Amino acid sequence: MSEISLLQSALLLGLYVALAGGYGFVYTIARLRDAIMLQQTSFILYGLHGLTAIAIVAWTPLQVGWKGLIVASSAAFLAIPPITWRFLQRTHETEVQ
Amino acid sequence: MHLNDPAFWRAGAISTVAIMSAVLIMLTIDSLAAISPGGSNVPLYTVINQHIDYKFDERRGNDAPVIGGPEPLFGKVVDAAQAEALIDKGKMVIQSRACIDCHTFFGNGAYYAPDLTKAWLDPAWETWQAITGATTREDAMVKFLMNPETNRISTRAMPNLGITQQEAEAIVAYLKWMAAVDTNGFPPNFGHMQSKP
Amino acid sequence: MYRSQQLALKYLTAAVALFGVMTVAGLLSAYYYINPDFLFGILHFNIAKILHIDTMIIWLLMGFMGAIYWFLPEEFGRELVGIRLAEILFYVFCAAVAVVAIVFIVVQYGNSNEIALWFINQGRKYVEAPRWAAIGVVVVMAVFAYNVLGTAYVTGKVTGITAVLMIDLVPLLVLYLDAFPAISNMSADLFWWWWLVHLWVEATWEVLIGCIMAWTLMQLLGTSRRIVELWLYIEVALVLGTGILGLGHHYFWIGTPSYWLTIGGLFSALEPLPLLGMVIHAVYDAGTHHMKTTNRPAFYWMLAEAFGNFLGGGVWGFMITLPQINLYAHGTQWTVSHGHFAFWGAYACGVLSVIYLVIQKVRGLAYVDGTLWKWSFAALNMGLVGMVGALLVSGFAQAFVERAIGGSTHEAFMLGQDNHWFVEGMITRFIFGLMFVAGYVALVWDLLTIGRRAPVLAAAGAAE
Repeated sequence: MSEISLLQSALLLGLYVALAGGYGFVYTIARLRDAIMLQQTSFILYGLHGLTAIAIVAWTPLQVGWKGLIVASSAAFLAIPPITWRFLQRTHETEVQ
Repeated sequence: MHLNDPAFWRAGAISTVAIMSAVLIMLTIDSLAAISPGGSNVPLYTVINQHIDYKFDERRGNDAPVIGGPEPLFGKVVDAAQAEALIDKGKMVIQSRACIDCHTFFGNGAYYAPDLTKAWLDPAWETWQAITGATTREDAMVKFLMNPETNRISTRAMPNLGITQQEAEAIVAYLKWMAAVDTNGFPPNFGHMQSKP
Repeated sequence: MYRSQQLALKYLTAAVALFGVMTVAGLLSAYYYINPDFLFGILHFNIAKILHIDTMIIWLLMGFMGAIYWFLPEEFGRELVGIRLAEILFYVFCAAVAVVAIVFIVVQYGNSNEIALWFINQGRKYVEAPRWAAIGVVVVMAVFAYNVLGTAYVTGKVTGITAVLMIDLVPLLVLYLDAFPAISNMSADLFWWWWLVHLWVEATWEVLIGCIMAWTLMQLLGTSRRIVELWLYIEVALVLGTGILGLGHHYFWIGTPSYWLTIGGLFSALEPLPLLGMVIHAVYDAGTHHMKTTNRPAFYWMLAEAFGNFLGGGVWGFMITLPQINLYAHGTQWTVSHGHFAFWGAYACGVLSVIYLVIQKVRGLAYVDGTLWKWSFAALNMGLVGMVGALLVSGFAQAFVERAIGGSTHEAFMLGQDNHWFVEGMITRFIFGLMFVAGYVALVWDLLTIGRRAPVLAAAGAAE
């Protein structure tokens, strides 16, 4: 791996997870406030995360197995916030506040 | 609904931990064989009697140690017991001086001083040999270790740690053996400058 | 107050004091990069670093023990079994830490023999403390385990949280036994050493802090036991499910078989997933309570825990965990950047949250807020993030110049260290370190005075 692609790849990988986190964070706030705009913002962040995943697959010298892991993880990152939200709702709905 | 039942998730936690721990134990047993001296990745201590090199392996796609012909350390061929004694002593010195709290070994340790994985193969010893008038690389290394504070080629100097001749020789033996361990290519491109920095 | 809780206060006080020692030692370590001749021939980088990393481990351990000694008597409904022994051992523990530190500073090295390992310095990272002290740590932890297990046995009352805690204490204690051997074969030495280090900080400690956060959430937000236990089990499953084989991300380059590159890289890459879940959970809890709480510093430090864990462990870790990247990042300031961020987020913030909660109970405060804790919170977090960012820049430069271009020779190392991005990163790190120190001073002052300074404004926000 060349020194430039080392830094590019690492930064893309960090951005990849950071954007997934951003999507999850904004999605949760959107659901808390029932705010459509925020929910759309969260999906834009996920879109950017997806673009980062595509960049990793297309432009980094990682092997194909790792690129497959990136794609699979992106699917997981998409699902985690809504599933976690629904599960949080369900587990808390029986609580007496 | 069992998803709401802590007992369901408790069972999940227990089974996950059990399965992962079992896999870890199996892989550990396999790895321990590979990393024992004479195993697939770690040479016998008597490798210090031989020439060590580090070359790119096309089949594997990474650098790998190459064990060559006879090249006794300090001009003396050692048997298995003597080699083991030297390695034991070398590690004892390394621990007693807390070398790993300035240097790294296989990249583990502290980052204030150079990585020592391939220190035996470092091109700098040729220069140090010339400066000190040492006849061999290992003699140059010993001279350095006994008075490191006199080596001021850079802003950062190694302090004098009261290392004796015997201790220095043991460290050098240790570093030569370490250079022969197969580290899956770490550090990459050792000694092959790719381009000007 | 239970005697166990009085002991908790002692442990938490000692923890905060050692946090200070860690910070000073860290500042000294950082200064050597700027002025390598500082104290040359008197005290060197390795001793400063040993003090820095060892006090880090101990202050966090003391923080965990303090938190557990605080929560457990209420959990069990009685005083802990063997508390008198634990009280004595606290002072023995503190005295041992002091003696070990003084010997590190004054004696520094012995000869290359067993005497040095038994009495001066064992020279293995994080577990440099001489063997006599390591025996002491085993005794302290064994009595701690006895306090917990013995009380569970006597009461016959085991909640989900205490069950997880008790099961976790066993590997915690057993793993520490790697603090004793001096294996000559470096590959084998590091192999077992990583069992201790990784399976402490990326497994058993995660479970410990999970238990502590479960109790904290119950008290801070009034969350029900059923919910915290449910989520504790999920967290244990996910964190240990990824972390146990994630141990393999330390087995790329130490002479172990190459299948660890795949296994370690894969499971390590999965480790951020549960951390995202934790962020969502934290935001959910904050949101459903409308960011209102009777203890604002405890609440904010808990949020910092969730976010810091995700960023420091998840994002920073993911950057360097894949083997092709790690080959170049391994053993550089990039690692240091990740380490500081991850430890801060995963553990330090959580312990600080508990400390504020305990203070609220001890001082009988209906509502905890103020100005000073915000300054401390800002300075500590911005200081830490600033250090991490600076170290990242230095780490990039080092990986670039020393590893990728230079091939990691001695000359390449020095070229990397002298690279102007590296040097500026080190200076910037030191400056943010000073900010962190200021935050620590503010923290200590706040802990000593919060709730004591002015009449508690019980009406102003307590009634939510």
